[in-house]
Amino acid sequence: MVVEPALVVESLINGVLNGLLYALVALGLALIFGVMDIINFAHGDFVMLGTYFTYIVATALLVDPTLTVFITVPLFFLLGIAIYRAVIQPILGSEPLIQIAVTVGLLMILRNTALAIFHAEPRGVPFTVFNIPLHIGPITIVLSRVVAGVISLALLFTMHLLLTRTTWGITVRATADDREAAQLMGINIRKVYAVTFGLGIALTAIAASLIMTFSRADPYVGLLYGLLSWVIVAMGGLGGVIGVLYSGLILGIIESLGMTLISAGARELFLYLTFLIIIWLRPRGLFARR
Amino acid sequence: MVLVRVKALDRKTITQLLVVLIIFSLLPFVLGFNTYYIYLAAQVVLTAIMALAWNIIGGYAGQLDLAATAYLGIGGAISGLLLAFYKITPWIGMPLGALAAIGLAVMVGYPTFRFGIKEVWYALLTASLVVIIQRIFWLIYGSTEIYLPYFEWSWYYLRFGRYEPLYYMLVVMLVFVLWLNIVIKRSKLGYYLAAIREDELAAEALGIDVRRYKLYALMIYAGILGFVGGIYVSLTSIVTYRMFNPWLAIVIAVIGLVGGLGSITGVLTAAVILRSIEEYLRGTLGATIPGLYLLIYGLLIVLVGVLKPEGLGGLIESIRRRFRGGSYG
Repeated sequence: MVVEPALVVESLINGVLNGLLYALVALGLALIFGVMDIINFAHGDFVMLGTYFTYIVATALLVDPTLTVFITVPLFFLLGIAIYRAVIQPILGSEPLIQIAVTVGLLMILRNTALAIFHAEPRGVPFTVFNIPLHIGPITIVLSRVVAGVISLALLFTMHLLLTRTTWGITVRATADDREAAQLMGINIRKVYAVTFGLGIALTAIAASLIMTFSRADPYVGLLYGLLSWVIVAMGGLGGVIGVLYSGLILGIIESLGMTLISAGARELFLYLTFLIIIWLRPRGLFARR
Repeated sequence: MVLVRVKALDRKTITQLLVVLIIFSLLPFVLGFNTYYIYLAAQVVLTAIMALAWNIIGGYAGQLDLAATAYLGIGGAISGLLLAFYKITPWIGMPLGALAAIGLAVMVGYPTFRFGIKEVWYALLTASLVVIIQRIFWLIYGSTEIYLPYFEWSWYYLRFGRYEPLYYMLVVMLVFVLWLNIVIKRSKLGYYLAAIREDELAAEALGIDVRRYKLYALMIYAGILGFVGGIYVSLTSIVTYRMFNPWLAIVIAVIGLVGGLGSITGVLTAAVILRSIEEYLRGTLGATIPGLYLLIYGLLIVLVGVLKPEGLGGLIESIRRRFRGGSYG
């Protein structure tokens, strides 16, 4: 089989750009899992919900999907805190099976509410200013992908700085390291948890608005983004933002090359096979939860 | 060492199994042999079989397996494709399907348990497995639906113009799986699995080969589903990549959890009630509000999990205790 080098380069660039976005998608989950030790199976469906909110706001105000974040992000932050209070707080510290069951229930509620309201037809935003193909020699990249990748990278970097360089970040990391000790140091655990969960959900709204610049809202995408995020968290371990970034990039590249060289329809195959192999080969210590 | 010794069951258990057999056998008479209702009843019984098979790995061994449809699909695909392409009877296809499902279970389960993957990672891995198998099937056979040959009434090919024979086959399977659940629960294997579910480290410290017994539970579960897969494709008449449905696998696990981990009556009741409600809602409101039944599943499991965090099984267990003294096993 002869493969054009330009095609491979194009595929690589797309993989890197997608990978950055995937890292952003997974960042909220990594934060929630890392800090709160909560297994959230509904993460992907918050992304799905985000794409619908982006669609609604962008259609109602006739603005570019990237501008909807000014409305959707505060909304999702509050939604996250509300869900934390109603559903997550009661299951803090309970056994993993219960956490998985409850968040699977949450996932079903989110997904089927979307299905009930919007039915199974995908919805796209009326317009986006970034839908321009860029030609660099034989390579063609869509501008919206570049924008999504660059914004994701900037947000990941900001988050990294927030977590490592601010008092708030130190508070959050202290809580993640040792809940009891943090409490003894005068940290209000409940507040940290509520804000972390809200932030984790708010991040999905940003990711969703970027996804909407090149894709459409669909009630069924939750499973893909949910599993994808978990795969990234599994690969990155609890290595903070940097781990998430690298894992996202690796997955993005594997997926893009697989789709170009083997079959575009087998997208999930490459993602989950990578997951299977990595979860088997990584020493169990890195996966074992405290 | 004999892990599961099949002892003569006590009279009470036999009576209970017979009651289940008689109730489900009489159901078609109540439904007036209406083709559509029999089809729905067969779906309900199939769900009950799947949930009870799941009970062995999920309820007894405490592993949140989300790959029920991978095993069901493998069995169905093998039995169905052999029939569609080579005219080989499902009576050979179904055992082969069961063997293939067990093979897949060993292939995936051995390294998984060997590397100590559990809890959320096990759930994720099995959820991914369904999608992996689905995509591989799709790469080979594409999106076309492969139809099974039509026979008006053939026990040899397991193809019928009506649904009753398949319904009764499923009822027999249901009683068999119920029996298997009871026998395992009361066996050495059952106690090992219960110990593993409660505390894996403690079980290991007591000298239980945790990996081996988890794998046994997985193999039994996969074997049942692989065998039933053949009846399943005969019921739907098509072999398609959509059989490897990750959502159905999650629903099966939800039924097992709502029914109560390890509780045989609870799981059977949950499967029958939830699936019947599902079909009813699909029939009445399905066109206007798609996915309503899943919304209800979701609300139910969140409510049960949040209000009764000490164990999902507890709720049904306590209700059951209030209404009746005994239970299976």
